[in-house]
Amino acid sequence: MTDLSNHTRSSRHLGARVSDFLRNYYIYFVLVAVVAVLSVANLDQFALFERGNFLNKRNIINILRVSAPLLMLAGAFTLLMVSGYIDLSVGSTMSLSAVIYALLAINGVPFLACFVLTVIAGMGLGAVNGFLVVRLKITPVIATLITLSLFKGIALLLVQDGVSAIKSIGELRMPGWFNDYGRDAVLLGLPMAFWVAVGVTLALIFAQNRTLLGKYAAATGGNPVAARLSGINTNRVVFGLYMLVGAAAALAGIARSSFMSLGDPLSGDGMELSAILVVLIGGTAFSGGEGRVLRSFVGALIIMALTVGMLTLVPAYYQTLVIGAALLAAAASNHLISRKEGMA
Amino acid sequence: MSVQPHPSALSVTGLTKDYPGVRAVDDVSFAIAKGAVHCLMGENGAGKSTLVKMITGALQPTRGEMSVAGRSHCPKSTQEARDNGIATLFQELNVVDELTVLENLTLGMERSRFGILMNSEVEARAMQTLSVIEPAIDPAARVSSLSVAQKQIVEIARAASSGADVIIMDEPTAALSEREVERLFGVIRRLRDGGVTVIYISHKLEEIFALGDHVTVLRDGRHIRTCPLSEIDGRAHLIELMIGRSVLHDYHPRDTIGQETILVAEGLSNRLLKNVSFDVKKGEIVGFYGLVGAGKTEIARAIFGADKASGRVRFKGREIGGSPKEAIAAGIALVPEERRTQGLFTALTIRENVSVMNLGKLSKGGVFQPHVERAAAEDYVARLRIATHSIDKHVEKLSGGNQQKVVFAKCLFADAELLLLDEPTRGVDVGAKSEIYDIIRNLADAGNAVAVFSSELEEVLGICDRVFLLFDGAVQDEIVNGAEVDVAHILNVVTGGHEGAVQ
Repeated sequence: MTDLSNHTRSSRHLGARVSDFLRNYYIYFVLVAVVAVLSVANLDQFALFERGNFLNKRNIINILRVSAPLLMLAGAFTLLMVSGYIDLSVGSTMSLSAVIYALLAINGVPFLACFVLTVIAGMGLGAVNGFLVVRLKITPVIATLITLSLFKGIALLLVQDGVSAIKSIGELRMPGWFNDYGRDAVLLGLPMAFWVAVGVTLALIFAQNRTLLGKYAAATGGNPVAARLSGINTNRVVFGLYMLVGAAAALAGIARSSFMSLGDPLSGDGMELSAILVVLIGGTAFSGGEGRVLRSFVGALIIMALTVGMLTLVPAYYQTLVIGAALLAAAASNHLISRKEGMA
Repeated sequence: MSVQPHPSALSVTGLTKDYPGVRAVDDVSFAIAKGAVHCLMGENGAGKSTLVKMITGALQPTRGEMSVAGRSHCPKSTQEARDNGIATLFQELNVVDELTVLENLTLGMERSRFGILMNSEVEARAMQTLSVIEPAIDPAARVSSLSVAQKQIVEIARAASSGADVIIMDEPTAALSEREVERLFGVIRRLRDGGVTVIYISHKLEEIFALGDHVTVLRDGRHIRTCPLSEIDGRAHLIELMIGRSVLHDYHPRDTIGQETILVAEGLSNRLLKNVSFDVKKGEIVGFYGLVGAGKTEIARAIFGADKASGRVRFKGREIGGSPKEAIAAGIALVPEERRTQGLFTALTIRENVSVMNLGKLSKGGVFQPHVERAAAEDYVARLRIATHSIDKHVEKLSGGNQQKVVFAKCLFADAELLLLDEPTRGVDVGAKSEIYDIIRNLADAGNAVAVFSSELEEVLGICDRVFLLFDGAVQDEIVNGAEVDVAHILNVVTGGHEGAVQ
């Protein structure tokens, strides 16, 4: 009997160590593999890339520039999912924020004020989600499906008059600074928006490892009952995280809006799927409790490299299919790893 | 017994179930006669539920055999057990409120031709069964209009009409009123008279004596006795069989009990509690002893603020009871009943579990100090002798005893002055048990107050200075522990013999 249980214990150890290793490092291998495949592929025929070279400076800058919105979202979304919750309205929050940002700018509000007001608006939208989930106890998926529709509806209302996006209103024009944030190189050829995304990610990595918010999120997602009995106000944690995701979605909306030089009420469409994909690829458990901000950030880089790379490798109409396949692969590997963990 | 003209309804031979480090069921053999109500008795952890799970196919035995009506029975799933004629009545009801009684009775057994439902003999049989066991229920009534007890009877009728020869009922009266219990007993007796075998599990002794034909007693995973209930000489005899050796206890009066009363509870009442009042002194270990459902967990949770209760709780002179957060801040910690689902973060490490109740202590200006956390975890691992090579080990990989020590460490790290321990040694092996008792004594000797909520008499009489006896959500009696404690009196009070009541 003793022999038997010793044996089980040691074999379980090895299994756990393997799965720990996989979970911690596989994401970097995936990134390297994706970049390697894209680099050796024959890319001659593509206009977007410098001739025949994926690992070209301009190409990389291009990818990172358009990645900014997703990179902004990845960290906050990870923390929310670590706490066991989800926000399907991020895309609509992003769209609405983009429209608000453009409206403010076009009406002559200075850059910094536009920026801060939009982020505050995003937090407000996040608070609406938090209210529905925490106070009204609506299932997170349903609550944020409701706001997905609501926020998008408001964004469309704000851009009436038969135009598809805000570029100008009557005599009013977009101010000259409008797309500096998303396009103007400030450091290493990359615009402010990208560096803000890096800064946000660093801040959230710090928050996850070195502040109570990160610890409380993990406890809430790991075991909500035990968390409450340990004196953690899980409602407040969840509410706060929804506001955080709202703010991140607003930042993403600002980046997208500035990059495209307009306020597009559909600019965030499908962003919720990308965010979930990125977080899953980063190895965050769908059931909560586990997940790392940094790994989701890398996951976002992988997805953007794939998306942009695919523009050049496969016909456009295959892309959604490939993204779906990637999501399936991520979910399956996630499941396999956590099963290995739970075994024996 | 060598010749078996009537094979028993169910028999088990040498049945054993091992978990890593624990043998939950140990070489159990007995037979259940056909057409009888057979009661399964034992304390918590005696192995009843593991045994039942093996019979119903939810668990597979490590060793041993089972047979149903003479045929070998080794179900790999609950479905297979059902096919062999064994049905289980769960505490959660499995009826569809929106359908009628008859539709519920034939659910999953409907006959159809080209997808169109047909009347069939299944329906006739269901009606027949129902009219025999409970004619008062109208088959055309909507199930949502029935009472809980009636829904239970519908489930029983469904099991019986689907051809189950053995129906297992686990605490079926938990949610019923006294009159409904009588009605259920009538149904069970009519079932038995119709040749169905009922395996009945309950902690309420009076139900056993009122209903049972035979009884099997388990203790510590072993089979103690199977006999007709008529051979049992009253309540005390049955309790003795369940508890075993005349409760040896090694309690030594402690002289560190302070004079200062640290906790006063007055008139706690809620759904389950009835006017519970008591007090705890500094440095004292008080016990709350009662059977399952007597209100132990509810008292602990009410004090801790995890459940709402009317009445007053004063801790160190201040009123508390609003929320766990408030209780922890005041200096109270709870070691919950279910360690894995309520006490631990199994996916996190020992280090992260130890600190979770008092993370504020580890932060400086809002920034978390990992080295302080490591030092604290190392300290508690050493002090409580938690067997691990690293504080970064995930707690799901620890044994039950070590997991429980982690929960203790969590509470100690929260600087608790009053510890509420709900079943502190459940699922813990003997060695770790005595270590946990030492930890509890040391805590009290250091001036902390401890309240132990337990359904193990040995435990309560082993460590507690004072014991409150619970039955039916109320404190029935209070005794001071010592060499001349009257065990028979205690057992009588907690099983509903009211002679000892002081209130």
